[in-house]
Amino acid sequence: MTLLKRDPKAPQAWLGNLPVTSRYTFGLGGERFFRSIKDEGEILGTHCPKCDRTYVPSTIFCERCLGKLEEWVDVGTTGNVHTFTLLYENYDGSHREEPEIIAFVSIGDGGLVHRLGDVEPEEVEIGMEVEVVFKPKAEREGSILDIVHFRPIA
Amino acid sequence: MNERVAIVGLGWTGFRPVTPEVSYRELMYDAALRAYTDAGVDPRRDVESFVTVAEDFHEGTSIFDEYVPDQLGAALKSMHTICGDGLHGLATAYMLVRTGQFDIVAIEGHSKASNLLTIDEVTAYAQDPVLNRPLRFNTHFVAGMEMNRYLHETGTTREQCAAVVVKNRYNALANPSAPYGANLALADVLSGPMLSSPLGHREAAEHADGAIAMVLASEEKARHLTDKPIWIEGVGWCNDSPSLESRDWGQATYTQEAARMAYRQAGINNPLQMIDFAEVDDIYAYKELQTLEALGFFRPGEAGELTADGFTTPEGELPVNVSGGSLGWGHLLDATGLARALEVVLQLRGEAGARQLEDVEVGLVQSWRGIPTTSGAVAILSN
Repeated sequence: MTLLKRDPKAPQAWLGNLPVTSRYTFGLGGERFFRSIKDEGEILGTHCPKCDRTYVPSTIFCERCLGKLEEWVDVGTTGNVHTFTLLYENYDGSHREEPEIIAFVSIGDGGLVHRLGDVEPEEVEIGMEVEVVFKPKAEREGSILDIVHFRPIA
Repeated sequence: MNERVAIVGLGWTGFRPVTPEVSYRELMYDAALRAYTDAGVDPRRDVESFVTVAEDFHEGTSIFDEYVPDQLGAALKSMHTICGDGLHGLATAYMLVRTGQFDIVAIEGHSKASNLLTIDEVTAYAQDPVLNRPLRFNTHFVAGMEMNRYLHETGTTREQCAAVVVKNRYNALANPSAPYGANLALADVLSGPMLSSPLGHREAAEHADGAIAMVLASEEKARHLTDKPIWIEGVGWCNDSPSLESRDWGQATYTQEAARMAYRQAGINNPLQMIDFAEVDDIYAYKELQTLEALGFFRPGEAGELTADGFTTPEGELPVNVSGGSLGWGHLLDATGLARALEVVLQLRGEAGARQLEDVEVGLVQSWRGIPTTSGAVAILSN
């Protein structure tokens, strides 16, 4: 569907849009990562013995030495807040009154970007220890949204 | 091989928040015509190859590179578009001349950001589709998290970042091409609404429209065409991992590596001593501080304090973003790096008008491709 139509409010311009729909496959490394979240509630990394780095999420190659990674590691479900932000805009750029609390949580030598929950914005600190809160197993689909958020370890 | 390459022609149009009366083609045409006139070349006869920078989603047209030859005089000639910042384009044009294959090459970049009605969604579409995009965060979160980590690692303060906004928007008042000039106090910046804390709205550049074109030539041609050749002494570019999960959140390591490459070519071992002024990334205020440290002008944590003390004002020891930077002339999408290079060329030619710096011989240009990228480029120019 290609639309090219006159915008009644702006006589000198034309509007066009395009529905872009793509299928994304996450590959061998990503597939196992999400299956393990869905089925086991475990977060997997892969270890590069040469560089001694543990990639989280798991990948099948080391971006440093380009070696193939075959050592799968259960890296646990806790990490710490490497950095965070309170985001005051929605996806489309509109303002939001209540900010999203977003963090990059370090796990192994990588980590995950996600929401922080069960915490007030002013309580969040870099270095804070947090844990994963998964959706109930029956609701998990094998996606990043199987994680509800991270929350501080009480 | 052409040992030396010079910028011999310069043309630009804008910059303005909106340009409803013209098309992107007319913006490009206007800038290109000025550049060819400035260089004294006939594009159909003399320019042997053309390079442009553009990104389909910014342009609203698939395979956009097919749409650029006509308005540049490049139809039925050697030309290509690269997907990168304008400074990557300049590096490409430089190499085309450097190889000896071509003696005169044109480079163009433009922004028609005002026509992009869903820019936040377009930028968000650059997030990893499986790991990050399903969370539906506005992409400014990447800048907010990067700034927070940078402040944490270096002890830089929000006030010091705000000082960048005050300086650059004040500088823009002396630049007729910069629409966002303003005389602000620190409190004006800090009291504004939050965007993605600790990043405030007023620390982020607004968008602008415009186009920039340049003509590059081999030394032999340059000597023939102009008595003010601006030499490209070194260029470098680098990307960190695109992955939010494995990149460096606190430092602009890609800029550090890009600078290392450019410095090696230009023979620069002490940037602060050997470089007179710089135009660097300030799409977000903290980026200017982080970048100055990555470029080796200052040690990590020093840039904020020095900026607050006036070290980087036009009268200071290292003038930075005398043009007003992105905060002053606006975020020009893919053309951003060329706008920074434009200012350095004008300064080195002595054609910067009311904002002309005295006795400048070597200038640095650095550019970043914006969120969520880790893509940086550096060029060293001299007169």
